[in-house]
Amino acid sequence: MPQLDPAVFLPQIFWLFILFGVVYLFIAHSAAPKITEVLERRQDRIASDLQEAEKLQAQAEDARAAYEKALDEARAKATLTVAAKREAIKADVEAEYNKLSASLNKDAAAAEAKIAAAKDKALDEVRIMAADVCKDIILSVSGLELDQKVISASVDSKFNVMKETANG
Amino acid sequence: MASPLAQFEITTLIPLHVGEYNISFTNSAFFMALSVMAVMVFMVAGMRKGAMVPGRWQLCVEMCYGFVANMLHEAAGRDARKYFPFVFSLFMFILFANLIGMFPYFGFTFTSHIAVTFAMASFVFVGVTLIGLYKHGFKFFTLFVPKGAPLALMPLLVVIELVSYLSRPISLSVRLFANMVAGHTMLKVFGGFVVTLGMLGVVPFAFIVALIGLELLVACLQAYVFTILTCMYLNDALHLH
Repeated sequence: MPQLDPAVFLPQIFWLFILFGVVYLFIAHSAAPKITEVLERRQDRIASDLQEAEKLQAQAEDARAAYEKALDEARAKATLTVAAKREAIKADVEAEYNKLSASLNKDAAAAEAKIAAAKDKALDEVRIMAADVCKDIILSVSGLELDQKVISASVDSKFNVMKETANG
Repeated sequence: MASPLAQFEITTLIPLHVGEYNISFTNSAFFMALSVMAVMVFMVAGMRKGAMVPGRWQLCVEMCYGFVANMLHEAAGRDARKYFPFVFSLFMFILFANLIGMFPYFGFTFTSHIAVTFAMASFVFVGVTLIGLYKHGFKFFTLFVPKGAPLALMPLLVVIELVSYLSRPISLSVRLFANMVAGHTMLKVFGGFVVTLGMLGVVPFAFIVALIGLELLVACLQAYVFTILTCMYLNDALHLH
């Protein structure tokens, strides 16, 4: 076995220490710090990105809350507006209705009064005519000429009874 | 035909002698240099852009880094962080050595030399022991006293603990060395069968294909095992059980 020849020990060990020293110095002072730096930079970047994302998310959350609040307010305001409008329209309608019904009542009353007047006038005419007719009939039948007043009173009393019956 | 062990032969490329000491640049040293270069190219090219969103190559480098950093953190805790460059270098160096050694014909695996693995394991062992002594002083030796053991058994247990502690560099180095030697020898033996069996050589050839897959796994696994054991020894030294 060539490995067991003591003559090959020293040259190998000598170069091993020199060359391992070279690779150690290279890694310790150049490669490892460089890799560490790159990894740390990446870690920092990831952490800062995550932080940023968290911040943006909080902002979005705030915006959403504000939007929801505004929406609620607008909805409440709209409800109030609708209620107020409804009240106003209701009041208007009522006023208009009252006015109209008052005017109609007035017209109806006027018409009724007119009818009553016409009726009274017609009854009066009928009464006078009835008294005249009575007088004429009595004159032609009995030849008696009665006092106009007596006939009128008699006709009037009859009429008043009739009128009460009609009205009552 | 060359012996299956001929692949482990050390050949001198540049003879160097300091006094009576032979420090020649050999094929082993050449592959160490190649591994070091490969690690450097892998990392420098991979991290060239240092992009926020890594490409494939950068991701590979970062995964190696993350793998070793995790391993160290889980095995030895937070205060082992300052030893991370050493553990990372150790892992990358052994990994690339094992993988470059897998190149057929051209490759030489210096981790199949007990001198190399034992030197690395001893360095880890001595380093970890010194860290433990520096951090805990005399209290470090409580590492050899199992907690809650009956007093009568104490002398025996302390001896056992001490022997097991002292055998760490041996087990650490032999594990890597033996795995590499066994795998590469087996590949060479079956490679010899391919040549000698002629047409029937497809059978050992198919076996070699499967074996290379296994050896690639072993190459990565042994780099991992060496590193995680280093982390565990470090944990013992830092936290004394």
